Amino acid sequence: MEGFLYGLALQWKLDIRGKSILVTCYIVPILFTLIMGGIFTAIMPEMKSTLIQSMLVLSVSMGAYIGFPQVLIETYGSDIKKVYKANGVPIYLGLVTMFISAFVHLMISSIIIMLLDYALYEAILPDNLLHFFLGLAMFIVASLSIGSILGLIIKEQAKLTMISQLLFLPSIMLSGIMFPRDFLPAMLKNIGRIFPAPWGYQLMLNKGFSFESVWYPVILFFVGIIVCMLLLKREKSE
Amino acid sequence: MSYAIQVSNLKKNYGNHIVLKGLDFTILKGEIFAFLGVNGAGKTTTLECIEGLKKYDSGEIIMDGKMGIQLQSSALPAHIKPMEAVKLFSKWNNTAIDYALLKALGIEEIKNRKYLQLSTGQKRRLHLALALIGNPDIIFLDEPTAGLDVEGRLALHDQIRKLKSQGKTIVLASHDMAEVETLCDRIAILNNGNIIFCGTAKQLIDKVGRKYLIIIKTEQEEISFETDDIENSLISILEELKQKEAHLLDIKVDRGTLEQHFIELSRREA
Repeated sequence: MEGFLYGLALQWKLDIRGKSILVTCYIVPILFTLIMGGIFTAIMPEMKSTLIQSMLVLSVSMGAYIGFPQVLIETYGSDIKKVYKANGVPIYLGLVTMFISAFVHLMISSIIIMLLDYALYEAILPDNLLHFFLGLAMFIVASLSIGSILGLIIKEQAKLTMISQLLFLPSIMLSGIMFPRDFLPAMLKNIGRIFPAPWGYQLMLNKGFSFESVWYPVILFFVGIIVCMLLLKREKSE
Repeated sequence: MSYAIQVSNLKKNYGNHIVLKGLDFTILKGEIFAFLGVNGAGKTTTLECIEGLKKYDSGEIIMDGKMGIQLQSSALPAHIKPMEAVKLFSKWNNTAIDYALLKALGIEEIKNRKYLQLSTGQKRRLHLALALIGNPDIIFLDEPTAGLDVEGRLALHDQIRKLKSQGKTIVLASHDMAEVETLCDRIAILNNGNIIFCGTAKQLIDKVGRKYLIIIKTEQEEISFETDDIENSLISILEELKQKEAHLLDIKVDRGTLEQHFIELSRREA
């Protein structure tokens, strides 16, 4: 347990020292919020009621699909995993500590973005903060599950950048944060539901927790666990 | 005689390519044992099968002792600091940090630098320190001095000798014949998935059967000849020179380097 906790604390520090988490979880989303938050609320004042949720969908998707898999590749796409294995460190340690560390980073950046939107653009805070943060947590976990699979399957940074963008862009465009999903053709609307973004957006808007609103993020998380276990088993046998 | 490692009939294939064709060898406790071979001979595969990092198709490996492993190609996260890596691995192995060892390997001097800022030699020393963290009985070193400068190489050789003096068994794979000749008690030469020789350097020379080459330089002439019987040959030639009252300038006896013997044996086996 001591080894695990040290590994977790170390990963947290490494994430701060490395650039990918810092850029994708903090710098870009915060800059985006500062610029676009002003523009959105100036053009559409009614967006104040959904500004926080919209910015968080973008911030979490960026961190989970673009930043997090890059951190995974550094370990699982290189000889680092072999060194860990040779020195008695279990192969799952990297994934688990990186997942938890990224979760905490995304939570922190979400709180910063929420407070900035509230202070600068009079964004309306969620009525039920407990439900809001629970929804946010489910959204982050589901998004990081997809990021985990990406980071374990893809072994090259260049390929990862391309595939991450292919997931990130439709995830944002079809999530409902740019324009209401009801305006979308049925096919695009259904494609959008493959990504956790629209589910997370609805959960953060406090549309209520029910089986219908949470089943997909929960399934994504468990599918993520199973796929990652299989991928790690493959890594181990390699 | 107690064995640190016993390997029998070790076989490994990569698809249709047979890499190890049934290796049999033993490594004694406390010895420095080296695997020699050209690229692709199966040195790293043999080591990784013994280390448990690679699955093998058949055979048996019996090991008596705790392992420490320094891999041929090693890496750590770019932003990790040496002491953080040492702490992480020592916590997972439930062992106390040996600060004297870290000092001896020069890790203390670089403890606050990031891994990406370390030189090749410093990285090698760090990976050796990580391999030694759990106080292992058997230490595997795969190309330990590759990429090191002369100073770094000599420092690492001293460290390896020190480990041997502490009773550790050291198994290394190397391309560096001079290093192997200087350090190792016994050598196994791998060629095309087979061990074509296993024994001491002297046994290898005897097996190759190379003669001694004697070169004698006097003020008047330079004489060179080959012989099997170095003792009598030298006595008789020196007596002859004495009778001629020749002034001796230099005398060299050469039986070839380990490299030459290795090449000769590999050619024969091929």
